[in-house]
Amino acid sequence: MKVFINFKKGFQASSQTFKMIFMLFLINFFISLILGFPMLGTLKSSLGSSIAGEKMAKGFDYLWWQEFRDESQGLALTFRPSIINQGAILDNVEYLVEMRFFQLPLAVLILILIYIVIHTFLAGGLLAIFNQDEIKFTLKKFFGGAGQYFFRFLLLMAISWVFFLAIGFFLNKGFNSLISRIAAKSLTEIQPFYAGLLFKGVILFLLLFTHMVFDYARIKIVVEDSKNVLTSALKSFGFVAKHLGSTLGLYFILIGLSIVTAILYIALKSLIPQTNLAPVAIAFLIQQAFILAIIWLRCWLYSSQLELYRYLK
Amino acid sequence: MIRKIFVLSQIIFSFSILPQLLAGITLCSQVANYTMDVHLDPENNLIMGKELLVWTNSTQFPAPELWFHLYWNAFQNNKSTFLKEARERTNVADFKKDDWGYCRIQSIKIVQNSYFEDYDLTPWLEFRHPDDNNLYDQTVFSVALPHPLEPGQTISIAIDFKSKIPRPISRTGVWKDYYFIAQWFPKIGVFEHGQWNCHQYHAHSEYFADYGTYDVKIRLPSSFIVGATGEHREKINNGDGTITHHFFQDSVHDFAWTASPRFLEYKENYEFSPGKSTEITLLLQPHHKHLKQRYLMALKNALKYCSLFYGDYPYSTITCVDPAYNSRSGGMEYPTFFSAGAYFLSKKGIPRPEGVTIHEFGHNYFYGLVGSNEFENPWMDEGFTSFLDSQVYYAAYGQPLYYKMYFGFPVIFKEVKIPIEGEGISRHRLTYNLDNMQRFAWQFLSGESYGANSYAKAELMLRTLQRYMGKENFSQMIKAYSQRFWFKHPRPEDFINTVSEFARQDMSWFLDQFIYGSEKLDYALANLSWHLPSQPRGWFEGKYRDGNINPSQLSIFESEVVVRRLGGVKVPVDILVVFEDGQKVRKKWDGQYRWKRFSFKYPYKVKKAVVDPDFKLVMDINRTNNSRLRKANLLAPWKWMSNWLIWLQHALEVFTIFGG
Repeated sequence: MKVFINFKKGFQASSQTFKMIFMLFLINFFISLILGFPMLGTLKSSLGSSIAGEKMAKGFDYLWWQEFRDESQGLALTFRPSIINQGAILDNVEYLVEMRFFQLPLAVLILILIYIVIHTFLAGGLLAIFNQDEIKFTLKKFFGGAGQYFFRFLLLMAISWVFFLAIGFFLNKGFNSLISRIAAKSLTEIQPFYAGLLFKGVILFLLLFTHMVFDYARIKIVVEDSKNVLTSALKSFGFVAKHLGSTLGLYFILIGLSIVTAILYIALKSLIPQTNLAPVAIAFLIQQAFILAIIWLRCWLYSSQLELYRYLK
Repeated sequence: MIRKIFVLSQIIFSFSILPQLLAGITLCSQVANYTMDVHLDPENNLIMGKELLVWTNSTQFPAPELWFHLYWNAFQNNKSTFLKEARERTNVADFKKDDWGYCRIQSIKIVQNSYFEDYDLTPWLEFRHPDDNNLYDQTVFSVALPHPLEPGQTISIAIDFKSKIPRPISRTGVWKDYYFIAQWFPKIGVFEHGQWNCHQYHAHSEYFADYGTYDVKIRLPSSFIVGATGEHREKINNGDGTITHHFFQDSVHDFAWTASPRFLEYKENYEFSPGKSTEITLLLQPHHKHLKQRYLMALKNALKYCSLFYGDYPYSTITCVDPAYNSRSGGMEYPTFFSAGAYFLSKKGIPRPEGVTIHEFGHNYFYGLVGSNEFENPWMDEGFTSFLDSQVYYAAYGQPLYYKMYFGFPVIFKEVKIPIEGEGISRHRLTYNLDNMQRFAWQFLSGESYGANSYAKAELMLRTLQRYMGKENFSQMIKAYSQRFWFKHPRPEDFINTVSEFARQDMSWFLDQFIYGSEKLDYALANLSWHLPSQPRGWFEGKYRDGNINPSQLSIFESEVVVRRLGGVKVPVDILVVFEDGQKVRKKWDGQYRWKRFSFKYPYKVKKAVVDPDFKLVMDINRTNNSRLRKANLLAPWKWMSNWLIWLQHALEVFTIFGG
């Protein structure tokens, strides 16, 4: 019951901060354009004056893409058929679970790192807004909070990376070797398939669990203005362990909502044949609405978690 | 006792094969004929075999010695030529004593006939290393005859052998209770032009042998379901828990078999063209039961279309094996018998098992019936079969869809269809200058180059030739080539001559560039421009002209199109020029020099131009530069940038898991 009470409270809190959510969306959008424009230039120079451009305007010209891929390096290699609809999302989940994001071109990796740091900064503001008795978004309050907690959150991030690296690399490596051993002894591909599914599921769960624990560490720092980052991190483990059902329940309800949002987005976007300017523009708006929704869900998660933390404390 | 059994087998052999030979009912002359009686010992993974080879010297030269393959000796140690070459892709580091395989000759003897007395050749057995002088390699041996076998004479050789079945390394072996037994018996080489063509076993080579009859009896535990080359003539219950399976096939050049108690066996008679039918046997892994119809339909499509394109399938059986996971025996061809491969979650639209089924069945034509030398001319079987499988797949199923695996689940992208021109071009583009297509299989720079040249480049060459010659003419040519060289050993020049015959011109200028060269084919539309004609200014025949505009010339535009040859391959090309009013003009260029400029005077400006507008030159490694639009299309880059952007935006959000 407490999960739903705080889930609802979180919804109300996040609904009152649309300006903040929209600001976060704009940050995402403009940062992505840092690489968006070079990609546009690359596509223009390859497609622009060729008939392949006409074909790509109407659909997807596989022959052109093969050639583009074969002759490309770096950023351009991230343009692939799987960016269409569900592939864009699945690719990222795969990059995360398999810890293959290190294979991304350097420019993308650097941008992701910058975005993570910016987000670590913004998280302070976000929690400062939600930590008010009467929730009101002001830039002063937001950036005041962002600045106030930034270095503590940065340190927290460094601590969390120890866990992420342990899960993402060492555990993943161990699991992969286990899957290979299972595969090597199997008579069918079914055993390694299920072993893979199970182990990857465990990895995903542990990554999300770690994320959740450190969310509470951040919340603890903000709610209690705790200066000791390491203690906050350790206590957040204790908090989650003590309230495992509530914390996990709340977290996975919102993860579930994210999945539903993604499915709706994929269904909606696949209905639009992007063959001329108007549907392309509509598809673009749907895409941005999806990103906005994802950001809102994350704010909702933070506000709900903060409400739950306060409720349980 | 053994001797008596052996003599008995000779008698059986003479009753079973010779009458057919005399009656002339086989599909071709039978040069290398094998009668084998083998016993599988699954406890020790051993095959004990007795082989009677009746071999005829069908050449004009005397044969003073006989050469044989012992392919499984490639797996007896890590110093064999095969394993040295396969170091990159085959790991035998964890092999234990029982994992290695071999084929050992226990005795080899001449059996008395009209030309020879009984004679023990065993002391004269000598391992040969014709390709690399690798003394550790024992995949080829020879025996000197007491006197040469003269042209037209026949010799009977009795061989006792013991083969240890390896853990799967490549194409053969045992995996738990699944046996895939190929290249497993002492097999005579090909005697041609007065010498033996009998290469060692290489990592990137396949096989070459003469046609003959295989009469094979395999004894193994009764729980096993067995499939093999040829007709399954009988099953004899030995009363000791074993069954002897009798297989028979004439006019083939190899014999392979498989056995497993787990197989689901399906048999069906299929009429692939009016009055022509064959018995299909499908040996399926139980967890692929739901793929049965897809396998069968793929095989039927292969039979139907291959018969149409390359001649009616002449054998009475075809057996398709769905290989066990980890057996490394998938995707391999043998006469009337092949292994395919599938994935249990394969969806409709994904060419598994269809693609590999069609490809491996297709080898029954290019390798099976057209017996090219896979060691020396690998493109003549793999390239032709790759062309065949694309041709059949697209005719039967249309364009496959792009898919990607996520955590073992295939996800199809319906928006992305893969056209036939996409088959092989990427591999060729990335490797075109590594090697010539015509190389001995083990002489390529790398496995990648072997694959790209033998499969992809040859397929692309054939597709380019098809479009150059015209579909109808090419179809007649390829069918004629196929049927003309059934049960023969064609060389590249045989193919070139056939093409030339149907093209009514010497086509070596075309084919040599691809077969013996490593240049790229790349024509580009280098420039597209227009301008108003310049007005005369200055002195003209004593009169001064000031450049005043002649109103009649205002409506004429001078357009210019420049085409360049960026690669070394020279072929004639067409150029299509489209003007703003929709008027189309076609030009031809012999493609010889480095560039060609075309000028036009027309009331409308040029809108676009395309080199090779009919997409004849499938081998052109850069299609994007084949066309130019005067006004660039901006929708496509913006559309796809925005589609890509969502991936990046989502990635940024996903990875915030590592931060705030």
